[in-house]
Amino acid sequence: MLHYATRRLLGLTLVWAVALIVTFFAVRAVPGDPIMVMLSDHAGDAALEARLRADYGLDRPLPVQFLAYIGDVLNGTFGLSYRYVGSTVIDVIRDGMTITPLLALSALFIAVPLGLFFGVFAAVRAGSWADTGIILLLVTFISIPSFALAALLVWMLSLKLALLPVAGWGSPAQLVLPVTVLVVGPMAVIARLTRTYMLEVLDRDFVRTARAKGVRENRVIWRHALGNTMVPIVTSIGLIFGGLLSGAFVVETVFNIPGLGRIAIDSVLARDYPVTMSIVLLFTVFYSLINLCVDLIYAWLDPRIRFDEAAA
Amino acid sequence: MTLETSKTDALNAPAPRRGLSDFQIRFLRSRNAMIGSIIVAFVAIVALLAPWITPHDPTKVSIMATWLPPGADHLLGTDALGRDVLSRLIMGARVSLTVALSVLAITMTFGTLLGMVAAWYRGHVDNVLMRFVDIIFAFPELIIAIIVAAAMGPGTFTVIVALALVWWPGIARMARALVLSLREEPFVEAGIACGTPTWRIMWRHLLPNIVSPMIVRASLGVGMIIMAEATMSFLGIGVQEPYPTWGGMIRDGLPNLRTDPHLALSASVALGITMIGFNLLGDGLRDVLDPKSRGR
Repeated sequence: MLHYATRRLLGLTLVWAVALIVTFFAVRAVPGDPIMVMLSDHAGDAALEARLRADYGLDRPLPVQFLAYIGDVLNGTFGLSYRYVGSTVIDVIRDGMTITPLLALSALFIAVPLGLFFGVFAAVRAGSWADTGIILLLVTFISIPSFALAALLVWMLSLKLALLPVAGWGSPAQLVLPVTVLVVGPMAVIARLTRTYMLEVLDRDFVRTARAKGVRENRVIWRHALGNTMVPIVTSIGLIFGGLLSGAFVVETVFNIPGLGRIAIDSVLARDYPVTMSIVLLFTVFYSLINLCVDLIYAWLDPRIRFDEAAA
Repeated sequence: MTLETSKTDALNAPAPRRGLSDFQIRFLRSRNAMIGSIIVAFVAIVALLAPWITPHDPTKVSIMATWLPPGADHLLGTDALGRDVLSRLIMGARVSLTVALSVLAITMTFGTLLGMVAAWYRGHVDNVLMRFVDIIFAFPELIIAIIVAAAMGPGTFTVIVALALVWWPGIARMARALVLSLREEPFVEAGIACGTPTWRIMWRHLLPNIVSPMIVRASLGVGMIIMAEATMSFLGIGVQEPYPTWGGMIRDGLPNLRTDPHLALSASVALGITMIGFNLLGDGLRDVLDPKSRGR
């Protein structure tokens, strides 16, 4: 297990190194001179220009800039923002750093149990009208883009029925719609996977054996059958989490939530590339760590994985 | 459908008509695939005929007719610039499909080529290519899109490049897997033994054998590409004005949801139904192609 975890950690550092290189060059590949944009009206002021260029380290050779960039990432400032001249990137994104993970993780923790429940519920009633109804609902939930769903829900629940606030951040009521919009897609994906795997497992001999020895039906379904579908479902959670992070961009834009996703989009449009790329870096690290956790849980659930890896 | 009914269905079924393959018969029997293909065909026809069937010019601004509610002249009303919403929806289908098909064409070409090369030469070539594929898979797709949008600026070309970058690794993996199993076949060995040049084996012997499964499975991705394009356009880093896109229309409509919901809602419904169509078709095709999952 330790051997396996070390190997996976090495793989992670490769991905992080690529992310560092890509973000560094993406900022510098952008056409136009950020210093000239900052100067705008003072374009003729050579002294100011030289000072800004020195502050941003843009007067140094590229390899030195790259080392400085790594230093900025390691000391947690992430360098200087282009839009807010003089502030560090961390000042711009600090408030958002708690919001996006909070949204994504709470959506995940709601989506997984709900998805498992509906998946099992449909599987044990395979072929009935309840099953058909759930399948139709799941296809709809998987299909409808989050921003389209958000538009429909805001119009119906917030404007027509006046039950919930339209947008904003801070009160618990303002959390309901964004989290609902985030939960719906992943929940449907998990439910559909669970249903498929449950149908497969319910046909297996060990389920028949359990029933034959007189285990209560509830226990057969939730422990014997569902327990054996966990491996493929856990593997899919990594992918689902990637979807949740993308969903956060949309939901934060729709509901005007000051999270990392909205800051990233705002800074792409405002050409504040250091901020955008720092958020890209953070998302990549966060996403890869979640995937590492998923892989470790997976290896722990299924010993064949870690032994195969160790033998290879 | 339970196993019993599917068995009797098969027994009672009339002898297959001449000219219909097993695949076509199963496809026609799948309810999901049929509903899905009707929706997709409708969207495709609308997109194809868009320039001739829009009731108004979708980019014509009219400051005297802003935010008109749905009515006789403008069936779905007008937007903030007085442009006809129905015409923009119809044109939006064309924009979405054009982007999706461009991405598919690019990724099919490069993905297939790279996947075939990796599977044929194996060893270092394969290792380097597949590690590269792994790294791209390690980034969430919207993150790649944002890096590209930041580096190139928002726009239609950006969307195509970003989505092609996200999409080719999956295609390459698929082509690689297909060629890996094919290269052990006697007809390929015969080709090698006769001294047929490698490019000729690939072009004349391998490609024709992988093309149809590649096309079927890749077409399942069209819906996902349309969704990704709509998301980018919604966020403002995708297709730009004056081109109408469903994602952009929803973004423009959201702030006015209270007073003029017709813009955001009609675009949401159009996008939602299109996505349902693609997903039903995809599910149906998967069931038809994979007999193990049939009836589930």
